[in-house]
Amino acid sequence: METLTNLALGFEQVLTVQALLICLLGVTLGTFIGVLPGIGALTTISLCLPLTFHLDPLMGLIMLAGIFYGSQYGGSTASILLNVPGTAPAAVTCLDGYPLTKQGRAGVALFVTTIGSFIGGSFAIVLLILFAPMLANVAISFSAADYFSIMLLALTAASTLGVGSPLKGLAMVVFGLALGLVGTDINSGQFRFTFGVPALADGINLVALAMGLFGVAEILNTLVTGALPRLESTRITLRSMLPTKEDWQDFRGSCARGSLVGSFLGMLPGTGPTIAAFISYAIEKKVSRTPEKFGHGSIAGVTGPETANNASVQAAFIPTLTLGVPGDAIMAVMIGGLLIHGVTPGPQLISDNPQLFWGVVASFWIGNVMLLILNLPLIGLWVKLLSIPYKVLFPAILFLISIGVYSVNNSTFDVLLTFGFGLLGFWFTRRGFPSAPLLLGFVLGPLIEENFRRALLLSDGNLATFVERPVSLGFLLITLALLVAAGLSKHLLARKNRAQ
Amino acid sequence: MKRRNLVLSLPMLAVLQACGGNGESSASAGSGEGFPSRPFRIIVPFGAGGLADVTIRLAGEHLSVATGQPVVIENRPGAGGVAATTTMLSAAPDGYTLIVLTNGTTIAETQFADLPYDITADLRPVSALAWFDLVLMTSPDSGVTSLQDLLTKAATRPGGLRIATINPGSTQHLSAELFKSKAGVAGTVISYRTTPDVLGALLRGEVDLAIEAYTALKGAIDSGQAVPLAVTGEARNPALPEVPTVAEAGVADYVVTGWNAVYTNAGTPDEVVARLNEEIAKVTALPEIQQRFAELGVEARSSTPDEIHQRLLADIEKWRDVMVAANLAGQ
Repeated sequence: METLTNLALGFEQVLTVQALLICLLGVTLGTFIGVLPGIGALTTISLCLPLTFHLDPLMGLIMLAGIFYGSQYGGSTASILLNVPGTAPAAVTCLDGYPLTKQGRAGVALFVTTIGSFIGGSFAIVLLILFAPMLANVAISFSAADYFSIMLLALTAASTLGVGSPLKGLAMVVFGLALGLVGTDINSGQFRFTFGVPALADGINLVALAMGLFGVAEILNTLVTGALPRLESTRITLRSMLPTKEDWQDFRGSCARGSLVGSFLGMLPGTGPTIAAFISYAIEKKVSRTPEKFGHGSIAGVTGPETANNASVQAAFIPTLTLGVPGDAIMAVMIGGLLIHGVTPGPQLISDNPQLFWGVVASFWIGNVMLLILNLPLIGLWVKLLSIPYKVLFPAILFLISIGVYSVNNSTFDVLLTFGFGLLGFWFTRRGFPSAPLLLGFVLGPLIEENFRRALLLSDGNLATFVERPVSLGFLLITLALLVAAGLSKHLLARKNRAQ
Repeated sequence: MKRRNLVLSLPMLAVLQACGGNGESSASAGSGEGFPSRPFRIIVPFGAGGLADVTIRLAGEHLSVATGQPVVIENRPGAGGVAATTTMLSAAPDGYTLIVLTNGTTIAETQFADLPYDITADLRPVSALAWFDLVLMTSPDSGVTSLQDLLTKAATRPGGLRIATINPGSTQHLSAELFKSKAGVAGTVISYRTTPDVLGALLRGEVDLAIEAYTALKGAIDSGQAVPLAVTGEARNPALPEVPTVAEAGVADYVVTGWNAVYTNAGTPDEVVARLNEEIAKVTALPEIQQRFAELGVEARSSTPDEIHQRLLADIEKWRDVMVAANLAGQ
């Protein structure tokens, strides 16, 4: 009952013309910057932050949050249509989204991602409303050893990401881990592999890496092969967007799993939508009855990660709003916005500022409904992008990628890096080396190393810490089980082959 | 009614410039007469939303009102402020481009072996802007209520004191190293990526002590998630009148005060620097700025150019000693 009263209070705050317009502005802006390759939520929120200084704190937060979750809706569009991810987490969506476009099913792919995004986001909002303080306390209790084991499991599960040679996939994971080493060592402060370049002291920029390997590389590849999905007709009927009965079956399960995985990882400070999307993809491939379809246009391979990344950004608000512990850089900027108004996020926020807390929560829901209404009709429009001649489209995309990457750190070095990775990615594609495992290794590597060493520092060097903590032990056992299962299935396969 | 906001973001200014075109107006720059006649640009070596960013935005807004010129805040985050300083040095020495330096700048001097510039010679001080101390805090579950308690307890633990701070080379991290040496305790400084991670470590009880700016963990202190044991400034923090300084708590000769200051290019004319110093002094004295900064746990206080520069030079020496002792220097 209390929840209902609180929610009523929240809706009271946001069902005003001003609040609705600000929410609409936020989510619309979010969708567009999500669609545009390279320009991400962090940049946009940083740029918009000064604008919110003169708004009421609630209005400011509604707008910034709208940009954040709105960008997750838009992020998949360019991945699916052009194989160019709009945001880093959407790089995963390229794997199966683009093959769907090649089969002429772009409309269906965009439709299921929009619905999946809505469900994932809504699921996390429900968690936020019902269990926020409790979940936040659980999330914060995960220590370095637990993080290490969770990330190790993620890396193991993800060894199945690539299509084709497992050896090449493994090589790319290792290469990604190596790239993740670049920068300042978190424990000793020493610079590693920075080659005297100050711009590398903070490590390689994830956006530059993702945009280079996926965006620029894809453009080079299309220019060389000339293979671009052609449209049968530029008229998109509702019918061509609607999934088949079989698609719905794939959709249901992957959507549920994506919501759970995304919400869990979103709550943990330090893991973001990129990791959620990757892990969800790996899970979908593991549980699927048709794993061979992954990488060639699987619906589950698109909805799982897209549901997960939306659930994760929405769940990230749980520790941010209830404990004042933001999960990532974007949340930290939003907290900065609140501080300017003299509002301090922390355990007292809900009791001291119920209007703010419940108002923001209510705005999430309204924002997600707006995004659903906004995005479904846009699908037809986006698909028409494919009818733009490539000689016009590709310079435009390169231009947007350059601006987007530059805007993250105002760094020209990052733009050069993007094009460098573009050339490398092009070579990878030609040689059959999958880029997705590289990106995953890059994201997880530093987390695994950092938490492994921190866990040992905390335990005074005792390795037993990883099996003494129940959470850590649990995840280590699952990792072991996965490895054994993989080994067994290989063995069985070999026996079967011999028998034939 | 709020005054019209004149603090613009960079892209907005780019648009204004494209529309109006102000490239020719720089002819009048260089002499104190008619200064300022065009927008200011202040480079911040951090991303939007942090303490340095928030304070300069608040001050910039009033600087804009006082001088009648828009003030553009340009965030140039990146290791050691190298990107920010390089941008600063590429601007004309006319007082229209300013940079925010912090005690982090003095650490970078030692941390980076070969910087492409000499901060003590290539930049010219204008004024200090804000001063703040750090807070030593523990978890309420630790049962520790004073710094002496903590030190006694740490002496009995095999690994010594465990202190959580943000990344190595930060003021917080070096303050922890300095604390270990001044207090004469053994222990480990454990680095976390962000301030919230430091808070998390404290909440889980995996460390004995966390060192962080008051502003950053104000919420946690106010709500009792973190128990303040001492503050690092020379005097007590007005926001925490009950909490002793580290010296009062029994560790002699330990003072850390963080600062933000405004600098510009070395060749900037004297009268321009004098005018800027005067304006910043007026802005920091405004009751509204005093109050807003105090809410952030920061003291708004200007200085003469020489005062802040002596401070910068002294801090370079201070942190160099700490870093050499902790094996963090010169890469």
